[in-house]
Amino acid sequence: MGREAILNSIKKNKPELVNLPNIDIQLFDEEIDLVETFKNNVQLVGGSVAELNQINNLDAEIKKLYPKAKNIVTHLPESNLGTVSITNETTPHSLKDIDLTIIKGEFGISENGAVWISEDQFPIRVLPFITNDLVILLQKESLCLHMYNAYKKIYDRKRTFGLFISGPSKTADIEQCLVIGAQGAMNLTVILV
Amino acid sequence: MKVGLFIPCYINQLYPNVGIATLELLEKLNVDVYYPSNQTCCGQPLGNSGYENDAKGACQLFVENFKEYDYVVGPSGSCVHHIIEHFDVIPQTKEVKKIRNNTFELCEFIIKVLGKRIEGASFPHKVGLHKSCHGLRGLKLGSCSEKVEPYFSIEEELLNEVDGLELMSLNRKDECCGFGGTFSVFEEAISVKMGKDKIQDHLDNGVEVITGADHSCLMHLEGLINRNNQPIKVMHIAEILNNSL
Amino acid sequence: MSHSKNADIFNRNEAKVNWHDKALWFVREKRDVAAHKVKGWEHLRDYASAIKANVLSNLDNYLVEFETNALKNGIKIHWASNAEEHNTIVHQILQKHNAKNIVKSKSMLTEECHLNPYLEAQGIEVVDTDLGEYIVQIAKETPSHIVLPAIHKTKEEVDELFQEHLGTTPSNGNPEYLTNEARKHLRNKFLNADAAITGVNFAVADTGGFVVCTNEGNADMGAHLAKVHIACMGIEKIIPNEEHLGIFLRLLARSATGQPITTYSSHFNKPIEGNEMHIVIVDNGRTEQLSREDFRSSLHCIRCGACMNTCPIYRRSGGHSYDATIPGPIGSILSPGKDLKKHSSLPFASTLCGSCSNVCPVKINIHEQLYKWRQIVVKDVKQPFTKKVILKTTGWLMAKPKLFNLLGRSGRFMLKYAPRFMVYSKLNTWGNARELPKVENQNFNQWYKKRNKNG
Repeated sequence: MGREAILNSIKKNKPELVNLPNIDIQLFDEEIDLVETFKNNVQLVGGSVAELNQINNLDAEIKKLYPKAKNIVTHLPESNLGTVSITNETTPHSLKDIDLTIIKGEFGISENGAVWISEDQFPIRVLPFITNDLVILLQKESLCLHMYNAYKKIYDRKRTFGLFISGPSKTADIEQCLVIGAQGAMNLTVILV
Repeated sequence: MKVGLFIPCYINQLYPNVGIATLELLEKLNVDVYYPSNQTCCGQPLGNSGYENDAKGACQLFVENFKEYDYVVGPSGSCVHHIIEHFDVIPQTKEVKKIRNNTFELCEFIIKVLGKRIEGASFPHKVGLHKSCHGLRGLKLGSCSEKVEPYFSIEEELLNEVDGLELMSLNRKDECCGFGGTFSVFEEAISVKMGKDKIQDHLDNGVEVITGADHSCLMHLEGLINRNNQPIKVMHIAEILNNSL
Repeated sequence: MSHSKNADIFNRNEAKVNWHDKALWFVREKRDVAAHKVKGWEHLRDYASAIKANVLSNLDNYLVEFETNALKNGIKIHWASNAEEHNTIVHQILQKHNAKNIVKSKSMLTEECHLNPYLEAQGIEVVDTDLGEYIVQIAKETPSHIVLPAIHKTKEEVDELFQEHLGTTPSNGNPEYLTNEARKHLRNKFLNADAAITGVNFAVADTGGFVVCTNEGNADMGAHLAKVHIACMGIEKIIPNEEHLGIFLRLLARSATGQPITTYSSHFNKPIEGNEMHIVIVDNGRTEQLSREDFRSSLHCIRCGACMNTCPIYRRSGGHSYDATIPGPIGSILSPGKDLKKHSSLPFASTLCGSCSNVCPVKINIHEQLYKWRQIVVKDVKQPFTKKVILKTTGWLMAKPKLFNLLGRSGRFMLKYAPRFMVYSKLNTWGNARELPKVENQNFNQWYKKRNKNG
């Protein structure tokens, strides 16, 4: 059968063991302004950044950015804008008309403007993709420099589903013209507190 | 220090002036140069065509001709690269290993082994440097645009010592010219297109003379330039470095 | 058809060649900018290459570890020795769920196995949801680039295709309008799909999970809506530890398009409660390539496409000229391993400039492998008689100085004195577009002899 044949073929053909390299993380260390770099990279990848001094201003800020949003899912206690509530039992397909989703990001990565979000932050996996607009609330102190740092941060998580999300969905498949808004969210705003 | 002068076969037959300039330049730099007249070819055209086994005789003759010298120097990055990389096809005797470790392209030899400057050369023209691929990426005659590394270029270092020479900047710093040996004949359409694009880059940047360390590239470009009557010339770097008013 | 014949046809439209060349050179330049922004970029490449070398030397153990961990998390694992087994397995899963409408995100492996025509022949609709793949699907073509599948299509051509298949109004190729129309159409497909098929960018042995990277979000729109998610992967997609993604994900998108990371890097570890998640692990010639010492490292490939963007030949001949699922430099060292005769022209579709090897994030020595494949092609594939005789004779002559010099001198004599019509005849390919060198009165040997005589 496939499995035995494949494993036997590998055993027969593989070279002598080559050891894993020791990764010297200091080679990649840099003294940079994590917040400024993060903000620049979010914008580079087509997202927007807003900064809040006070968490109480969250809803006002979101209403300012997305005045037309009607079907709103919020999955954080800091926001009262939600008009559609969802649970683990919600049918994913029923979220197809969601205008705006507001969730918390666990932490951000400066080198690429990405944020880690997982089923800890949203109960229905399709939510951050099927929503038209996406807002992620993020603590400035949570920022780390690069991806290798990031994997240390998520090492101890319960592994079900999670993703690094960097900006809104996009494509350049038509003559290399960048179009923001492909199959996933049309735009993304990271709100930094 | 005894240096064996390696004159690639096509230079010998078609561009003897490049060989002459190489010899004269080395002698100006007080190098004791010998020319083994029984040399033929390094075997590269066969190797690149997939016939490296049929070039073993050529490799062995090369070693035989040059084994008594401390260094072998030749005005061709691709031929030198072939010797260093692809002479692994013959038994690795002490002599073969010595040749593979001590064969140098001309510019590399001047900078890395002799450590000498070019004095008294002048060439008051706008020059474009073609960084031939085997020299650049194979022999590491310079840094290449793909890699994140400090900038350096052995050919530029030498050209900057020539009086009156203005080195022009290109749009694509180190794209291949499209010669590629037998590629130039077996993939003719692309070879010609790559050559045309390369020449246009030089023309667009005001170059009067295209130079480089590999006359195979220059031969290909010159062929196109002459067929299309374009207002630009080619000249091997040895000829420029050896040029005085 | 050989690459050179296809390339010849492609080059008849010089404007198109220029357009295609510039488009991909632009991507290469973006890659350069991104790479130069990363401290320790070359170290990342070293580590990635070393990790992959370790993987290949311990591949069986990693695959078993991966399977064990994935099974623990409720993922079903299947193994396919070849394309046929892969297609059968996928079909069986779909049949079990009575799945008739499938959405598929980018997977070069499923291209390699020709999955779409297989499923379509069984009455199953497969929609490629990556916009570029969707474009080539409705154009009934194959992707010409592994990351930018429709790079060979002008926006006007896309406009016409969308008018025909989506009923869009003519827009002169307006990218925003066309993308939005595709979004509406594909959204419908996602919402009605019975199953989603995705590729796998990285499969992690120590967690049994896998990562799928997209910019569009199409893999996720498929996987999180359909009841069944089938992920297809080649055996070489394994990496040992999750932390290694911290190396690979820093290299992948920057090498591919110059972005710091793809919009979505989705980490799948468990299926949605009540749904099914399957992984099909595929050999299809990879263990055979593993046995080839000179070509084994081609299995490091993480399918970034950087080699294609930098290759001056690929840019001027287009992916279809290679007539292989994976084109370009990496395709030219992978494909001969699968079918040496069919792909015998590919190792020669190169000047061996070495640019590909320098941009490869996992440091595959592509240009050196191309040289080595050439020796094998000559040995194992019947060569044109005249070419063989000429080259073998030249090799023989090269070992005989007197004869070789005589040949050189006669050649020079011919070139110098033969009439132009003879020299530039149809037999002289060089002379089609180029002048031959002007022949001097003496060669270097003669000049040197004379100089010595004169002291």
